[in-house]
Amino acid sequence: MSAVAIPPPTIPSSPELRARFAAIVGENNTITEGTELRTYECDGLLGFRVRPAVVVLPASTAEVAACMRLGAELGMPIVPRGAGTGLSGGSLPIGGGLVIGLSRMKTILAIDYANRTVRVQPGVINLDITRAIADAGYYYAPDPSSQSVCTIGGNVAENSGGAHCLKYGFTVNHVLGLTMVLPNGEIVTMGSQTGEADALGYDLTALVVGSEGMTGVVTEVLVRILRVPEVTRTLFATFPSTDEAGDAVSRIIGSGIVPAAIEMCDQLAIEAIVKATHVDWPLDVGALLLMDVDGSAAEAQSLAERAEAHLRAAGAIEVRAPRDLAERQLAWKGRKAAFAAMGRISPNYHVQDGVIPRKDIAPVLREIAQLGRENGLRIANVFHAGDGNLHPLVLYDARIAGQEHLAEKVAGEILRICLRYGGSVTGEHGVGHDKACYLGEQFTADDLATMALVRETFDPERRCNPDKMFPTPRLCGDKPGAYVAHATEISGEAGRG
Amino acid sequence: MIDAPLRIAGVEPGRVVVPRDRTELAAAVRDAAAANARFAFVGGGTELALGNAPRALDVAFRTTALDRVVEYAAEDQTITVEAGITFAELDRILGEHQQMLPIDVPDRARSTVGGAIATNAYGALRHRYGTLKDLIVGVELVRPDGVVAHGGGKVVKNVAGFDLPKLAVGSLGTLAGIMTATLRVFPIPEVTRTVRYSGTHPAFVATLEARQLDAQSIVWYAEEDADGDGTYHGTIVTFAGSRVGTDAQIDRLRSIAAELDPGEELHDVGTDELVYYANLETMVRSGGDWRLRSVRLPETIAETPSFERAFATGAIAYVAYPTIGTALVAIDGGEPPHVETMRGDGGASAVVIHAMPERYRATTDAWGPPPPAFAVMRELKARFDPRGLCNPGRFIGGL
Repeated sequence: MSAVAIPPPTIPSSPELRARFAAIVGENNTITEGTELRTYECDGLLGFRVRPAVVVLPASTAEVAACMRLGAELGMPIVPRGAGTGLSGGSLPIGGGLVIGLSRMKTILAIDYANRTVRVQPGVINLDITRAIADAGYYYAPDPSSQSVCTIGGNVAENSGGAHCLKYGFTVNHVLGLTMVLPNGEIVTMGSQTGEADALGYDLTALVVGSEGMTGVVTEVLVRILRVPEVTRTLFATFPSTDEAGDAVSRIIGSGIVPAAIEMCDQLAIEAIVKATHVDWPLDVGALLLMDVDGSAAEAQSLAERAEAHLRAAGAIEVRAPRDLAERQLAWKGRKAAFAAMGRISPNYHVQDGVIPRKDIAPVLREIAQLGRENGLRIANVFHAGDGNLHPLVLYDARIAGQEHLAEKVAGEILRICLRYGGSVTGEHGVGHDKACYLGEQFTADDLATMALVRETFDPERRCNPDKMFPTPRLCGDKPGAYVAHATEISGEAGRG
Repeated sequence: MIDAPLRIAGVEPGRVVVPRDRTELAAAVRDAAAANARFAFVGGGTELALGNAPRALDVAFRTTALDRVVEYAAEDQTITVEAGITFAELDRILGEHQQMLPIDVPDRARSTVGGAIATNAYGALRHRYGTLKDLIVGVELVRPDGVVAHGGGKVVKNVAGFDLPKLAVGSLGTLAGIMTATLRVFPIPEVTRTVRYSGTHPAFVATLEARQLDAQSIVWYAEEDADGDGTYHGTIVTFAGSRVGTDAQIDRLRSIAAELDPGEELHDVGTDELVYYANLETMVRSGGDWRLRSVRLPETIAETPSFERAFATGAIAYVAYPTIGTALVAIDGGEPPHVETMRGDGGASAVVIHAMPERYRATTDAWGPPPPAFAVMRELKARFDPRGLCNPGRFIGGL
C-alpha cells in the first residue's frame, strides 16, 4: 500500500530542539530519530505516515504544560497521542511538529465508590479501569472494541463509543470533569471536580470530549463508574439475510426494549470471523445478531423473552443463548475481532463508520451491496445495529491496479448514502484526517464556522492538531486511507469497531 | 398575547417579539444585532427569575409560536421539535406512541423544550435517564449575529464536529438562541410503582445501590413541620419496567427496609398521594419567594446543615435527589437565607438561586463564585457574542 508523501518539516529536528524538550521530559523520553520515531509516524489509519520533528513522553501535568509552552514559543504544531489505535488519523503527526505521547501517564489516581467516580491519567488503558473496580462490582461503561489497548485520553479526544453505548452512552456521558493543558501551556480544570452533579457555567467538558485533540492536551479525567448489572442475558440469532435481521432490530427498538447492545454481522463478516476465531457460528446464513439485555434478574428475563419473540417474528432461522459465561465471552470476542478477521478473506480493506437512522438499516445495506456489485468489490458489514452505526468494510486487493482507488471511492460513496438518509459520517471513530473532506457535506459552512468558534476559544492559533476534522482545500486534495490491522489486533490482543 | 409584563431576572425588556416561525426569529435576531440591541430568548417563562439581572434588554424573543414538531421518528426513538413546544404538547404527541421525554420541568403546561435545554432542567428522573445533555443529539441555533448554525444531527450516535448540542444545554441562552432540538425519547414503561418509606437509616440509599435496586427515581422529601428542624421525613422510590420486574424490586426493597429499620414499613403510594408528592416537587421548583438548588457530593447529601438553617427561615418544601447529589428548597417570607454561609460550608459545590425577591437582587449573586475554567468560558462568550448582546450578564460571572 502506498503511503502519502511526507511533507517537508516546517521545523527541522535539530540537536538544539531535542535538547530543549529533553530538558523537560528527560533524554529517554525525547524521541527524534530512528525506528522509535517511526512508531509515531502513524496511528490506526495506517495509509498515512508523517514524520514529526520530536515526540515527547511527559510524566506529569506540569511536564505536559512545559512542553506545550515550549511548543507555543517555537510555534510548533502539536498532536496529542494515546495508544495510537485511532482509525481516523487523529494522531497522525504534522510534519515538523511536536507529538505529545501520554503513554507514561497511566496511573489510576483515585477510586471513589461512594460517589461512583474514578480519577485517571490519560494514558490509562480503558479496560484497566474496569479491572481495577470489578471486584467491587463496578465497571466503566464505554467499551470500544480496542478497549484492551486504547487509552482514556484517546477515548476522550474521540468521544469513543462501543457496542454497549446503545444503552449506556458514549465517553461524553461518562466523563464528569477534566484537567487539561491549553495550547498556550496554561493548566485548567473543568466540569465536576470530585463527582458533584452540576458544574456551573458552560459545559467545557462536553466540548473537549470529542474535540479530537484540537483543544489541548487532557492530563486528568474524572469518569463515572456504574454498578455491574445484576444479570446480563445474551441472545444470538441468525437470519436468511440482512433484511430480516434489520427488521428484527427495528422491531426490538420500536417495541420499547432498550438492549444493552445489538450487533449485526453479514455473511461475509461471519465468514471472516469464523475463519479467524473459534466461534461456532453457522456459515450458511445471511446475517446474525448478537445482543445483550440487562437489568435485575426478573427484568432481564422479561426483556430476553420479549426480544426473542421479536427475533422469531422477524424471521430468525435460529435463536440461541450462550450456555455459560465462557461461551458468551467467546461470542463477544468474535464480534470484537471482526475487523482484524477481514485479513482472512481479503488482502486489504477500508473501514467506514457512517451512521444512519436505525429504522433504515435494511434499505441502506441493500444500497451498499448494490454499490459493491456495481463496482465489482465485496463489502462486509459488521456493526452496532442498535444505534445505526455501520462499519462497512470495503474489501480490495492493492496489488490489482486501480482497485485501491476504487475502494476509496466506494467507501466515500457509502458515507454519502449515510448522509442521504439523514445520518452522519462518523459514529465513533472520529473525523480526523480520514473524513475531514466529508464533513463539509454533512454540515454547512455556517455550521463549521460556528464549530470553529469553539476551536479558536481554546486554540486561537490553530496549532493543536491542525489539518484535522475541518475540511480545507489543501487537505481535501489527499485521499482517504486504507485500513490495516493494528499489530495488537493481529496478535489477538484487541479488536476494533 | 402577553398578559403580564415580562421580567427577566428582574429586568423588563424594551419590547417583546413573538416570531411566527424560525425564519422570522433568525431575521429578528439579525435585525436586533444590526441595531446593537440587547436581547434574550424566552420560552414558557417558568424560570425567568433564575440568574442575575441582565445588564440591559432591549428585546425579548418569545419562542412560544415555534411549537412545531419538525420530525418524529418514533421507530428510531428520536424527535426533532421547535424550541417553543411545551412539555404538555410533547407528552401528548409522544404518548400516542407510548413514548416520553424523561425530563422533569417545573410546569409541563408552560415549560418549553428550548427553555428546559437552556436551563438544563432536571428532576428525580435524572437518576435513571440523566439530563438533557444525555438526551440531546442535535440542535439548530441562531447565533447572536443572526446566523443559523447546526450541530449534531438526528441520529443517536454521532461524533462529527464539535458538540454544539451539549453546549446549548445549561448555557441560559447567553451564546445563542435554540431554534430546534433533536432528542432521544424513551418507551413509557409498562408499569410504574411508587413506594414511600419513613425509615431513617442513614445507609438506606447506599443499601439500595449495594443491593442493585434498579429504581427509576429516589427522592427525599420534607415539609415544614412543627419543629421546623428541616430533617428529611422520608424517601420515595419509584420503580418502572415490566410488571414482574417491578414487583420483584419492590419485594426486595421491602426486605431491605425490614433489615435496616425493623418496624418501619413500605407504603404503596396511591394516586392521591402521588399528586401530593408531585405538588411538593412543584413547590420546590416554582413556589416560594426564594428557591435554591444545592449541589453536593452524593455521599454528603445527608449532611445538610445549611439547609437546616434555611428551614429556620421559613422553608415550605424541601426535596433532595440523594443519588444525584442535589437538594431543592422553596422558602417563603422571613429573612433571606444565608446563601453565603451555605456556599462556604465546604460540602456544597454550588448553591444556585432560582428565585429571589426583587429587593435582594442588587446585593445577591445568584450563582456564587465562578468556576476554575472561567477564563475559557469568558473567551467562548466573547467569540460567540463579541458585542455582548445576548442575555448579557444573566449567567455566572457576568457572562
